[in-house]
Amino acid sequence: MNETQLIAQVIAGDRLAGRALYDMHASRVYSLAYRLTGDSEKAREFTQDAFIRAFARLSQFRGDAAFSTWLHRIVVTVVSNARRSEIRFGREVALDEAHSIEITTPEAEPDLKECIARAVENLSEAYRTTLIMHDIEGYTHAEIAGILGVPEGTSKSRLSAARAQLREVLAAFKE
Amino acid sequence: MDENRFDEVIRDLPQSFPTPPGPPLDEMWGVIEDAHFNSPTSIGRPRGMTSRAPWLAAAAALVIGVGIGHYLPLGKQSATNPTSSSAIASSQGLPPGADTSAVADAYRDQTTHYLGQAAALLISLPAKEASSKADASFAGEAADLLVTTRLLMDSPAAQDPKLRSLLEDLELVLVQIARLRGERNKGDLDLIRQAVEQGDVMSRLNSAVVTTQSSE
Repeated sequence: MNETQLIAQVIAGDRLAGRALYDMHASRVYSLAYRLTGDSEKAREFTQDAFIRAFARLSQFRGDAAFSTWLHRIVVTVVSNARRSEIRFGREVALDEAHSIEITTPEAEPDLKECIARAVENLSEAYRTTLIMHDIEGYTHAEIAGILGVPEGTSKSRLSAARAQLREVLAAFKE
Repeated sequence: MDENRFDEVIRDLPQSFPTPPGPPLDEMWGVIEDAHFNSPTSIGRPRGMTSRAPWLAAAAALVIGVGIGHYLPLGKQSATNPTSSSAIASSQGLPPGADTSAVADAYRDQTTHYLGQAAALLISLPAKEASSKADASFAGEAADLLVTTRLLMDSPAAQDPKLRSLLEDLELVLVQIARLRGERNKGDLDLIRQAVEQGDVMSRLNSAVVTTQSSE
């Protein structure tokens, strides 16, 4: 049974077809969710959420793009929404925790990995997502463009800008 | 750091971050299967209600018709919004010359009423945490609203992309609440609350209520 047939079966309520469709995509969706969040629990939660949303809206899938592109777009949206929500909440918490953060900040220079992680985390959402998808998860620009719903050129320019910002931050790093 | 070293950093970027652990496939599938296939009001809807369940479409038309009949002001003159009125006329199979603006008003009233009910239900969500006994009636309210949500999604009211997106997110949240009728896990309400927060559902709901009320 091919993917189109599986989708039709899932719409008709066939749970075995649902599991088969899930098995085809779950690992890559989870991996992307993990890379975008850096947290296995959140990756699990967002993967579940993405599949629940995808199955709920499966009848709206027109097949204009590949199912994997459509599904990955959902997981990126789910993660982005959650991050926006966390950032909003984080701003409120930050003031309360400012004192404890100051106390626990290590005096030693952070190592390179830590510095890279912080630099990537501080990129804008669009740059960060593009960098993670391309340089860490190995998506092509064509795939990223399809998933994020932007032209391929935009994906390339975002990656270039993200790397430039990273280069700027890391320039000061002494090993 | 020089250019060569930076190129190395970019090349080795995957190794700079923790490798994803093996996905808990069965555990995740259990949650997805439960939400999608075991829900008392299954999320999956057939492509166009009429394609697989003509009786459901007939029931839907009846419910909407009764609702509209309740709100429809007799003898109201056609006035504004010809585009949506004509869309409603065609989608409802109204005869030419029918008072479509009154039908549009009725849809708007129904939508406003529904949005208010949905907002009230979601606002009361945190208060229900301590009371498991209240889950059944709470879930019942959600199930009723779920039916209305799906009717509105198949109605001309959902032609507005913003409202349609809101209805889709509400559908997902209401399905989760409707599931509280059975045994619920400790984290169920947290998941529902997260779904509401992540989709920014409350503020979009409030905004939609204000928009529909101000257009009256």
